[in-house]
Amino acid sequence: MADLHGLEISARTAAALPDWDDTVAYLASRPLPAVEVLRAADAAARPVVQPRCGVGGHGEMLGLLRELESAGPGILSVTIDSHTRLLRFDTASALLRRRPADLNGYPLVTHGWQRGRELTEAVAVPLEVRHGSPDGRDLFAVALAAGITSYEGGGIGYNLPYSKDVPLAHSLRAWQQVDALCGTLAASGVVVDRELFGTLTAVLVPPSTSLAVAVLEAVAAAREGVRCLSVAYPQGGEPHQDIAALRAVRSLAARYLDPAVEVFPVLHEFMGVFPRTPEYAGLLILQGGLLARLGGAAKVVSKTVQEAYGIPDAAANAAGVRTAALGTSDLLDFVRYDESRVAEEQHWIEREVAELVDPVLADGDLFAAVETAFAEGRLDIPFSASVHARSRVVPRRDRDGAIRYADSGSLPFSRAVLRRNAALLRDPEGARPRSLIDAATADIHYFLDKESRLPLRAPYGANSDTPPRY
Amino acid sequence: MDTLHGRSERLVILGVAESDAHAVANHLIAMQLREHGFTVVNLGVCTPLADFADALDRHPRAEAVLIGSLNGHAHQDLRALPELRAAGRLRRPVVLGGNLSVGSRTTDADLQRLRDLGVDHILPDAGGLVLLLDMLDAAAREPEPQHG
Repeated sequence: MADLHGLEISARTAAALPDWDDTVAYLASRPLPAVEVLRAADAAARPVVQPRCGVGGHGEMLGLLRELESAGPGILSVTIDSHTRLLRFDTASALLRRRPADLNGYPLVTHGWQRGRELTEAVAVPLEVRHGSPDGRDLFAVALAAGITSYEGGGIGYNLPYSKDVPLAHSLRAWQQVDALCGTLAASGVVVDRELFGTLTAVLVPPSTSLAVAVLEAVAAAREGVRCLSVAYPQGGEPHQDIAALRAVRSLAARYLDPAVEVFPVLHEFMGVFPRTPEYAGLLILQGGLLARLGGAAKVVSKTVQEAYGIPDAAANAAGVRTAALGTSDLLDFVRYDESRVAEEQHWIEREVAELVDPVLADGDLFAAVETAFAEGRLDIPFSASVHARSRVVPRRDRDGAIRYADSGSLPFSRAVLRRNAALLRDPEGARPRSLIDAATADIHYFLDKESRLPLRAPYGANSDTPPRY
Repeated sequence: MDTLHGRSERLVILGVAESDAHAVANHLIAMQLREHGFTVVNLGVCTPLADFADALDRHPRAEAVLIGSLNGHAHQDLRALPELRAAGRLRRPVVLGGNLSVGSRTTDADLQRLRDLGVDHILPDAGGLVLLLDMLDAAAREPEPQHG
């Protein structure tokens, strides 16, 4: 192990890095760091759009970034391959030599910081590294040296949805070091944007679950000196709930964080089972842009009409950026919605978040409290891959499509919260009873069902690639 | 709890095959089984076959071992089944469900290869799972035929 100003990384990664002063100077010299893009979007009250994008080969990645830049994104992504996410740098390296097309993202650690700087310099917009690693320390060191000013992840959100058996104590401490280095950089005037992955498992995540995890990670990050946080919330599908959740990001930040920390709400366009027709998929992408603006998000991460079929090609990805941007455009500024309904939703989201996080934050040892709360089910996320979360929470959609708690397991909700969730999920008189699995499957396939009621035809046959089945 | 057979508890072991990280179906099936009164020992995603055998050793009352596989690598992930059975382990019905081969069509030959490994039941759809478990349970309780 080597130590990079408190960031413990492998000796091999450390040996390849430039001097720390060189990294800091290069970051400081970036003409447009991510935080400035977010500030400008916030001031303009119109979110910028960011696509996810990452391919294995370096030349291909340069080409992809340049092609996507022409679609007008505010920030571009370097999405990392899954071997690098799991710290299997040797596997990533072997695949890169043999079959780079088999990598499902850009292996930044393997390519190294010099090539990373080529990516940074290839486009005028800032880059963000998106990955999914429970321990993103080596990757962070290389990303910084590459001049990348935005880094996604956190000790809960990048662990429990992705990894089967990484203890929270490990991931929380790894991300603590990442955040502490951001604090060190902030003291030298370099602000790194840290995005928190509230999207979690991307399947029927109740807003208060997403935001509770984000609040806990945000408090932990702010304690280490992070000065810029993007709090990502996943579009659930019911517009009032989605707008309310984005607005709640700001009120929760005001309640739980030092005002010196800049917090930007971010909408991740719908991450669940995606519509199959380009028309309906496009409509959902457009709606995501609109909801991001109405909710006061500074950024919206776009989807593509090929989402149901796998990793999109560059043209579809660029089209997704444009479509989401149209959703944020002034042509839709006339759109109004029921403010009182949004306010009511926001009130209950904030109350649920408080009931989840207040007992944890009251503990003197935040990380131990988080770990114990997940072990006991007082914090929980649905459909987790991890043995360190119970996943006893059962989410369901209500009649309007909003995501509620059908079973909150051991979450410490008040009677008022439990009553409201139960009331909203009560079946109408005479409704045909369904098994839990049928009901949950229908909720997961929510947009497929809506799409099927329209006169649209999927471009691919039933026996070719189909959307994931649950 | 199900008291149909005068028992207080019905228990199954559930998990997803070793190379497979699909968590959603796994959780839905666990919920469905619990809703029907089963105690579910859920080993979750990415579970090596030996871990299923270990779980059965710990929970010898388990009625069946339920393995999900959605990524098409079921045969590869279950290749140690004959060896474990030969060693006297995993002596319960092994039920396999999900997408069982690479590509969208599963052929009879694919299914036969899985049966040849010792997979006892293959379910394309989790909807039939409780019925299958009830049938296996009833069959296990039938008295040995009397000869004589």
